[in-house]
Order: sequence, then C-alpha cells, then structure tokens
Amino acid sequence: MSTIETPRRIHLERRLHIGPRRSALVRVAGLLVALGVALLALAVTGRDVPALGVEVWDFLSIGDSIGDSFGLQSTGNLATPILMDAIAVAIGLRMRLWNIGVEGQFYMGALAATGIGIHLDLADPLLLVLMALAGAAGGALWILVPAIARAYWNVNEIISTLLLNFVAIAVVNWLSIGPWRDAAAEVVQATPQVNARLPLVPGSLILHIGFFLPLILAAVCFVVFRSTRWGFEVDMVGGNPRAAAFAGINVPRRILTVMLISGAIAGISGMVHLTGVTFRLQGTISNSYGFSGFIVAALAGASFVALVAGGLFIALLLSSGIALQGAGLSVYIVLAIYGVVLIGIAVGEMASRYRLVTGRGETRSPGKRAPP
Amino acid sequence: MSSSDGARSESAGNGETVVEALGITKSFDDVVALDHVDLDLTRGEVHALLGENGAGKTTISNVLAGIYRPDSGIIRLDGEERHFRSPAAAVEAGIGMVHQHFRLIQPMTVAENIHLGWRDTPRLITRRMLEERTAGVMDEVGLRVNAAAEIWQLSVGEQQRVEITRTLARGARILILDEPTAVLTAQEARELFGVMRSLVAGGRTVVFISHKLNEVLEVSDRITVLRGGRKVVTRPTLGATPRELARLMTGEEREVVRDARSAPGDRPLLQIEGVTARGARGFMALRFVSITVNAGEIVGVAGVSGNGQTELAEVVAGLRRVELGRVVVDGADLTRSSSRRIADAGVGHIPEDRLGVGLVRTAQVRDNAVLRNYWSPENSGRITLRRGRIAEFARKLVDAARVQTPSIHSPAGYLSGGNQQRLIAGREALVAKRVFIANQPTRGLDVRSTEDVRGSLLEKRAAGCAVLLISDDLDEILQLSDRIVVMYEGRVLGEFQRGEADREQIGLLMGGHAGEAASEGR
Repeated sequence: MSTIETPRRIHLERRLHIGPRRSALVRVAGLLVALGVALLALAVTGRDVPALGVEVWDFLSIGDSIGDSFGLQSTGNLATPILMDAIAVAIGLRMRLWNIGVEGQFYMGALAATGIGIHLDLADPLLLVLMALAGAAGGALWILVPAIARAYWNVNEIISTLLLNFVAIAVVNWLSIGPWRDAAAEVVQATPQVNARLPLVPGSLILHIGFFLPLILAAVCFVVFRSTRWGFEVDMVGGNPRAAAFAGINVPRRILTVMLISGAIAGISGMVHLTGVTFRLQGTISNSYGFSGFIVAALAGASFVALVAGGLFIALLLSSGIALQGAGLSVYIVLAIYGVVLIGIAVGEMASRYRLVTGRGETRSPGKRAPP
Repeated sequence: MSSSDGARSESAGNGETVVEALGITKSFDDVVALDHVDLDLTRGEVHALLGENGAGKTTISNVLAGIYRPDSGIIRLDGEERHFRSPAAAVEAGIGMVHQHFRLIQPMTVAENIHLGWRDTPRLITRRMLEERTAGVMDEVGLRVNAAAEIWQLSVGEQQRVEITRTLARGARILILDEPTAVLTAQEARELFGVMRSLVAGGRTVVFISHKLNEVLEVSDRITVLRGGRKVVTRPTLGATPRELARLMTGEEREVVRDARSAPGDRPLLQIEGVTARGARGFMALRFVSITVNAGEIVGVAGVSGNGQTELAEVVAGLRRVELGRVVVDGADLTRSSSRRIADAGVGHIPEDRLGVGLVRTAQVRDNAVLRNYWSPENSGRITLRRGRIAEFARKLVDAARVQTPSIHSPAGYLSGGNQQRLIAGREALVAKRVFIANQPTRGLDVRSTEDVRGSLLEKRAAGCAVLLISDDLDEILQLSDRIVVMYEGRVLGEFQRGEADREQIGLLMGGHAGEAASEGR
C-alpha cells in the first residue's frame, strides 16, 4: 500500500488554550472593525459622520462642573442595571448554567420592592433595606422552580427561565395598571411613587449611588471565585459535574444555590432601578436591561473584570445612541449600529478560539508533551 | 469445507467463502491493534470472534464494516478485492454492523429510525406508509417490534432488534454483532440466538463477537480466537471445550515473575462484608460480595468488564449506595459515609473512567491536584482557600508523579493523555493512606505509563496499604496480586492465592463456568 499524501492547505485549527490578553485583544479588534463598518455605512448613505461624532462627544463630555455631565451620569444610571444583570448571568455561567430569565427576575424584584415601597412609610434607610430584601426575594422566587427542576430533575434551565420572563412582564403590567395603579396621578400606566429613593452621588444631578453596587459586587465575585472554597466548588461543578461529585461536592445543591443567587441579584437590580431612576413600577420599567446584561456576560465569558468593562462600554454605546437620535438618526439605525458592534465582538470571540494553520493537517497540541 | 454432523450441520457454512481478509494490520499511534490478521467468513455460518478485551475483536470488525481503514492487508468480498472508504460503502456491499452502543434516536419511532438515511426511503412519506414498510421489512427478516413505538419505550432487547432490522433492511448479507449479549437478559440472549440461527439458515453470515465461552459454544459454527491483536486460531465449534477455548483466549501460562516481595500483612484494612448494591440501570450489580484486603496486600479482581467490578469500586469509595452489607476501613464502619469522609479516612480511588470522572479539564492542574483534599485544614480555612499551600501541594504532586506540564496553572485538558493519567494516579495515591482502589488503572496507557502505574501500586503495597486492583487484563492481575478473586454477574465465583492461580480456571470462572472450575473456588 502506498502512503496517501494529504495536499497542503490552509485550514482552521482549534486552540486548546486562549490567554486572557489574546482573548481581550481579539474582542477589541472585532469591536473596532464593526464600528468601522458602521461608520462606513453611515458615510456611504450620506450622513455627516464627523458631525455625528461631535454630537456624541458633546453629549458625553464633562462641562464646567460634574453637574454638567448629564450624558455621563445617565450612562452610569443605564450601566447599573445592565451590569447587575450581567453579574447575575455570569454567576450562572461559572456553572455553565444559562439564566435567560434575568429580565423576568428584574421585573419581579422591582415588583416586590414596590409592594413594600408603596405600602409602608418608614425612614428612608430602613425602607430601602426592606425593599432590597424584598427585591432579592422576588428575583430568587422567580427562578426557584426552574432551579429546583434543573438541580434535581435535570430540566433544561434555558427554556424554563426564558419563558418565565413573559409571565413576569404580564404580572407587572397587570398590577401597575390594575390593583396598584396610581389613581391620583396623571400617569395612567404606573403605580404611585415609592416612599424611598436612593440618594444621589454628591454633586450629581441624576446619578444615584446604586451605580457603585455592581462595581462592588463584581469585585466580591472576583474574590469569591478566586479564593473561597465555595467558589472553587462552583467552578469544579461547572467544569465537570461528574468530577465534582467524585470529589464529594453536592452538585444539585450547588446548582440550586447558584441559580437562586443569580435570581436574587437580578431582583436587587430591579429594586435599584426602581428606587434610583423610575420611582414607579410600570410595564416598561426595564428597557431590556436583562437581555443587554445577558449579552455582556456571554461576551465577557464569565470573567468579572471583562464584564465590568463590557457593561460600561455597552451603556456608553446605548447612551450615545440617544445622542445620535437627538441628531436626527432614526432609532432603527441606532439599533442597527448596536447590533453590528455586538456581532463584531462575538465574531472576535469565536475567532480567538481558532488559528490559521498551513500544512498537512496533523493536529498538534501546543506546549510540552509527555514522552510516550 | 463441509460440516459433517451435529444439529447445526444443515444450516452451517456451505463452504462458499464470502469474505476473506488477509494480513490486516491496524495501529493507533504506537499501539498495534491488529497484527496481520487473516479471517475468512463463509455463507450461512455463525462465526464467533472470541477474545479478551483489547484482543482486536472490535477493531477487525470495524475494518470489515468500513469504519477503519487498515494500514495494510486486503479484503476480498466474493473473491473481489474491495477497499471500503466509508461505512456506507461497506453497507452498500452487504456488510453491516450492529454496535454495542445502539445508534438509535430515542424520541423517534421504530419506523422513522429504520428509514432514516436509507436510500430506499420514498421521497414523499406519511407516518402510515413508513410503519407499513417497516412491518413488511420485519416480516421479511423474521423480527417483530411495534413499528409505531418510540425507541425509548422499548426494552434493550427490542432496541437491538430494531438495529438488526435496520442493518438487514439495507441489504446486509454479512451481519456483524458487537457484543450483542452484553446488554441482554438471559432470556433475550436466547431469543437473539434463535434470530441468528434463522438468519444463517436463510443464507446470511453472522459474525458474533463475545467473550462468553458458553454463548460462543452454543450458537456458533466456527470460532476465531484473537489475542493481543493476533489471530490464534480458527476452528470449528464442534468438539471445542470451554477449557481449551479459555486457554487459547488467555494465552499459555507464563512464568510467574517471582519478585522478591514480602509476605502480605494479616491486619485487615479493607473489609467488604456481604455487600449488595444496584447498578446504574437499577438491577442488582453486586450480590453479597465479601472481600477482605489486608495491609500490604494486593487483591486482584479478575472478570470480564460489566460483572460488578465498577460498582464494587464505587461502593467502597462512597459513590454508590450500599443496599445490604458493610464496608469497613481499618476497623471503622464507612458503609454509608460520604465520599469525602471516605477520602479523609485514607481511601484513594482511580475510577474506571479516569478522564471523565477524575479530572476537570477546563480547570488548572493546580485545582485538579487538590480536587480530593482542598477542604483539608492544610489547604483551606472554613471559607477561604490557602492558595499558597495549594500551589505548593500541586507543585509537589506534579514533581512526584512526573507530570509534564508547562505550569501548574495550565488547564488540565492542555496536558497530553499520559500526563493527565499520571496526575490522577498520583493524586489518588496520596489520598490512599490506607486503601487504594485502582479500577482499570492501566487501560489505554502506553508501556511506560503502565509501568509507572504498576510501580505505584507496588509502592503502596510496600508502604502497608491495602490495594484492590480491578482489571480486565489477566496478565496484570496475575503479575501484581497476592490474591485473586474472580467476579461474574455480581458475585465472587472464586478465590486464588498467588502462585496457585491457574489461568485456565480463572478463564473458566470469568466465563461463568463455576461448575468446571477447580475446588479453590469458595
């Protein structure tokens, strides 16, 4: 028999290991390419790209005082729920669990907080704490059934959490224009204002202190997954549940806890947005923050550092979109730019897993290999 | 060749050779799986392929079925040389294989599974039409399964019939059955033998892969024995005895290596007392098993895989519930203790599916190194891990077990297979302060890694550990064990002291022939 020669060719080979620097660089490159494409498309269709740039710059830049930085402050308020929701998703992702129900848990957290906030009249700090607890409970309760089903009967959490989103939105709609509706105010489709508000960051007009919560939370998560037993166990379950069980870890219980924590964080996110920005519960309280957060977490690959950077960037992009709409771009074009950029990052993420190889197609693994 | 007498003579091979394989050689990396194997199949015969695990039975079948391409050697079909480029090409030519693990789609019906990817499937179909066609095919081949049932609703035996029907429907004249009885009850196996006989009566050829002697003797016309990738012999079944086949299968008795080893101690460190436990499918995988392992002793568990050995290891390691009986380690009853407590009591365990169960491939080497003791006071406080200590431990383990890795921070999946194995074996050896359970510890390893692992078992023995060695490889058992127990269908069928062990008797017991085995059996 003759040996068969494989022709030389160029092909893709999967990388076994991707360093954090490479992974970050490739994503940023994907992002820049996508932005370039979007700008080119705008230029080709006859928009004045430099003028649009100035518009965005004016919106975001800090004026004479911090109080003038309205654009940045609203970006911060926008980043808060996105980051909180992203953290909620990322905690699940450490265990390869996809909580697609953060939007619904956000709604239920806001709803539970509203229940306390419109019916009790206590001192602000006390009421805020109670509302936060209620928000956490609301979010956790909303994921309880999917979590139990996943932990003990291995029911796919993607579908169950996703579907509960629609139920949550419907419940909030019904309450805010039904039993809890503010009869006195002209606002028809919302509850009365809650009796407590998050304080503003000193010197700012609209940025509330809730903005710091996701930053602190991300740092806590970073430490938990770096140096605690619990974080280690969650990572091991995520990597290989059978090996985790072999090491004596109670896998179902870890799944249950992680999902409940994820839901609770999403619920607190709803409470923070309620008490920091909207003050009233309404059917449109979330502007798809849950889904934006989901995208951030998925693109950040469950790394809490990348998550914060990504969440802030997405918020910046979204609020630039507001400025662009002010400059006369239609909302659809703005959304299209947003989509193109996300796709660019996602493509970069995929691309970072492969490398181009020329040659005979032998699979090599990098690094030292054991002698046979 | 013409069969002379016996009950099967009418249907047995009529001498017309349909398949001839000559000098088939196949290697995987450096492992030679088949070494110049010749095989001829005649029309109308049940041809048994007999051999231990790793003898090459499945590999030669995969070559015939077009799944592997041989490195050298030729295959002739009806006297014409053929090179199958794919399983589809082999099926086209009339060779079909039913694998040990069925390739059926569980939520689809029998009729849909049979028609899936079949050239004769009409372009426009209705459910009814598929079911009628299926019923027709089943009548033709003489098998009956409800065509409208979904696969998951069927018993394993029925699923196997669907597989066989699917293969026959595609025109297979030569049907290869890979360990078909491994998943069947005795009753189902008997029915399958009936099916096999009627297929060959109809002029087809059946290749029957097994390592169960009595089955081979019962159903086959000719037997080819393989050992270590080579063909030992092809002979008519008529006149063969279990004793002779066992000897052919396991090889001539080798000179027992008389290594200078101390006598084992007499302090029992591991006592398994009348343990009964269920397997993954719910049936009793262990029935009143009692084994004692003393300090400084290696007890080898011989047996064909799937006879309760893995469940035995899991029971001792606390990974499987004990229904009846006790597991005692150094005097302490650990029968229903958590796996973590059992590890703390000094029981190390190399699991059968080492890479699937023993390793988190996405996690760092460091994290895998402490997978079985990260909770210990040296490595962790109540809440936080002692990262410095853990890294130190991992470095020591990597050095001691000679794991070659760029760094302890590399993901474990980044290591070569042999190094992943060394990492697991080294870690479990450190856990095993009293008892070391090694389940197929050298399966799939190259020569050098095998020697390393065997060396570590002997070291643990010298250090006064009780070692329970489970292996398919009889040579390994004979070489390392102070005492050998043979398991068959969840029971201990016999026990031998080192030196008294008789390869042939062990082979018979492994095949379930308790009656013919010698009196050592207890």
